Amino acid sequence: MKKQKTTVSQRKMPFGVYFKRYWQLYALLLLPLTYLLVFKYIPMLYIQIAFKKYSIVESIWKLPLAANYGFEYFIKAFNSKDFLYALRNTLSLNLLDLVLGFPAPIIFALILNEICFKRFKRVVQTIAYMPHFLSWVIVYSLALQLFAPDAGLINMLIRDMGGETIPFLNEPAHWVGTYIGLGVWQSFGWNSIVYLAAIAGINPELYEAASVDGAGRFKKMWHVTLPGLKPTIIVLLIMNLGNILGSGFDRPFAFQNNLVMRVAEVISTYVYKVGIKGLQFSLTTAVGLFQSVVGVIFLLFANWLARKLGERGIW
Amino acid sequence: MKKKILSILLACSMVFAMTACSSTETQGSADKSSGSGDKKSASELVDGKFAETRKIVVEVYDRGNDGGSDPTNNMYTEYIKKGMLEDHNVEVEFKAVPRWTEVEEINNLLAASDAPDVCVTYSYPTILTYAQMGGVLDLSQYVEDYKDDLPNLWNWLGESNIYWDQDPDKGTLWAIEAKLAVSNRVLTFVRQDWLDKLEMKAPTTKAEFEEMLIAFRDNAELLLGADASKMIPYSVSYDVGWRAATLIESFLDPDMSDKEFYVNGFDDRKLTQNGTKEAVKLLNKWYNMGLMWNDFALYGSGDTTEDSMMKAGYVGAFTHNWDYPWRNGEDSISANLKRQVGEDAKYVAIDCFEDSKGTYTKFVPGPIDRKVFFPITNKEPLASMLYLDWISDPEHIQYLQIGDEGVTHTVEANGAIATQAATGEAIMNSGMNIDYTITCNGLKFADENITNLSRALAYPGVDPDDVINAHNLANTDLRVGKNVNVGAIAAEEGIGDTLSSKRDIVYDNAVVAKEADFDKIWDDGVADYLASGGQAIMDEREEKWNAAFGDATQLP
Repeated sequence: MKKQKTTVSQRKMPFGVYFKRYWQLYALLLLPLTYLLVFKYIPMLYIQIAFKKYSIVESIWKLPLAANYGFEYFIKAFNSKDFLYALRNTLSLNLLDLVLGFPAPIIFALILNEICFKRFKRVVQTIAYMPHFLSWVIVYSLALQLFAPDAGLINMLIRDMGGETIPFLNEPAHWVGTYIGLGVWQSFGWNSIVYLAAIAGINPELYEAASVDGAGRFKKMWHVTLPGLKPTIIVLLIMNLGNILGSGFDRPFAFQNNLVMRVAEVISTYVYKVGIKGLQFSLTTAVGLFQSVVGVIFLLFANWLARKLGERGIW
Repeated sequence: MKKKILSILLACSMVFAMTACSSTETQGSADKSSGSGDKKSASELVDGKFAETRKIVVEVYDRGNDGGSDPTNNMYTEYIKKGMLEDHNVEVEFKAVPRWTEVEEINNLLAASDAPDVCVTYSYPTILTYAQMGGVLDLSQYVEDYKDDLPNLWNWLGESNIYWDQDPDKGTLWAIEAKLAVSNRVLTFVRQDWLDKLEMKAPTTKAEFEEMLIAFRDNAELLLGADASKMIPYSVSYDVGWRAATLIESFLDPDMSDKEFYVNGFDDRKLTQNGTKEAVKLLNKWYNMGLMWNDFALYGSGDTTEDSMMKAGYVGAFTHNWDYPWRNGEDSISANLKRQVGEDAKYVAIDCFEDSKGTYTKFVPGPIDRKVFFPITNKEPLASMLYLDWISDPEHIQYLQIGDEGVTHTVEANGAIATQAATGEAIMNSGMNIDYTITCNGLKFADENITNLSRALAYPGVDPDDVINAHNLANTDLRVGKNVNVGAIAAEEGIGDTLSSKRDIVYDNAVVAKEADFDKIWDDGVADYLASGGQAIMDEREEKWNAAFGDATQLP
């Protein structure tokens, strides 16, 4: 409603009248805008650290430019084996997350939608949401209790039944499985909410029409529900692609250990270790900037592709 | 219209952002001018006191231990605050820094210009990095100019510790080294009651130690009953280089030259010393024989899982600080073991890793401990120096170490001081309040005789003979580190932490490798460590050694 009014008024009203009438709406906007400014835009001024020789005590405006026209730290990063490993790990873990983690909530929403028994549906839904509210540190503590080679419950069971200990957390390939698996487990329930909402918005007449045409459950799912979900899926996919080089800090950090570091070190933890702990702020700002730029490129590309394919995109 | 308003808002925000930035800028320059222009003489003191009350902030470690008190506000900080105010008219405030993430925390505080006036860290390379960014006060002037006002500091630390880190060329002094009162470092501990049950003698060689571990493993049912599956004959943590230090040192050449030890010695866990590989190979063999804790690499720094297993009685042997089982009074490993397993259950110290000469050489560092430095934001260097002096006063060290008579200690007939388990307010957050006595680590009373008599009584509820035995073992065959001061090594700047975590990765992966893969994993790991900066450090160390000492390979 608000949107309609403003578009109408845009043409007719002079600025003073318009502002007088709607200033409350802009006042409401002020707080979130300040938030964005303080925590997202002002910090961007410090991007220049990537091109300068950082000092912990100097003001950033007075720092001397780094060598190679300021690109010293970018060159250093790309010559560093550790950074390249972190880049590789970030990409592969995120791709795995995307391939396995992205369809999971869609499938879950589709299945849930087919359940007729309302109460059961709600219970399942609530149980599936719950892990989302656990922090990664807690999830990892649970994982340790369950999967540790000596003290883990699952491994104790396996040993009691005469099996061999499975190195869920201490062998790189197994670790990746555990990491991705727990990631999917933690988030699929929560992420399905969006899809359930979208499904609820699909016109019931379409289903009736499909029934009249003789479509069964699977046909209806395929020809009605999924196409109805398509815009949502695409928007979320674009946003996920924008994050292909990004990753939260707490999940990989909580899950890392020295035995799996060669597959577990990702850019965010690398930046923390080398930058914040190792005091190489310029190097890691450069890495962070690179990460963001690639993220934006992916986002733009995915959006362009979506529009090209006749979908709406996110803008 | 909407766009217009948006753009106005954006413009406003830009202006806001600019002003915000320029204000921090002026703040930064103000800090700096006051830092460099602060060269007041000590004459502003009357009877050791300032005319006007000064205020300083002092860093203190927060160990977050159970039953502890607020490290910035308890009866011991009150004692310090009161004393400093009375003696020097200086108000002291404490700032807690988490013990296990101290470096990150100080980085953040420095970057935010919010660092305490008196900072403490174990990592000299970190201080050096700050110093190269211009973030640290040069103390060389202060220790000389104020010498007359700092009698306790000079008496206790002496020239050697005060000037330990002085740059030989430029004369700059970025930090003062605290002093180790006792050089006891790391020992191996074993469950005496298990040895008794198995009718074994304490091992004195690696071979006997291995036999003992095998006996523990094979007799798990007898030793642990229903908990047999939890048996851990020998336990280390992710920090293998520290937690197997005596074993590693036994593989080094006890007669190695000072030069070799220095050149390969950037890593205090001895990763790059000659011989370390063989030591880790032995650990790897034990690991594959099922003699070690399988989960060790999964738990990080500060985790208490391993301690809990020792307390519960599942661990047969481990290597750690010389007094580790007795630390923390009622919550010590030894006290818990007694409660949970039985009166006779206890760990005793042993020397069982013989070196090539058949002795038990222990490479202990020089008598240095934590490093105290003043960040550039410190506007009260004199008051801060007076604080260091006050905290180095033997009387004050003694009080902080033992507290009040009748509450935290009793005095024996011969004058020896016996520490009592404290309760409530009087509980110390760190053993003997080491976190407050920042210039001193280890038992040190005003009277040296009393110190020696009291050593065995410093751990309430522990058999004094066990403590004396450990103290004696920790002092057998010492090779004390010397101060190789050849100036700052540029290659070490800012890389310490990266290399330490690489080192742990090399150690951990080598220990758990399949026996056939061990050589490859170790060699690859060390090669990566060297390529990441380790080799550059070794080269520069060698070069600087040659420049300073020529052909000599031994220091006087």
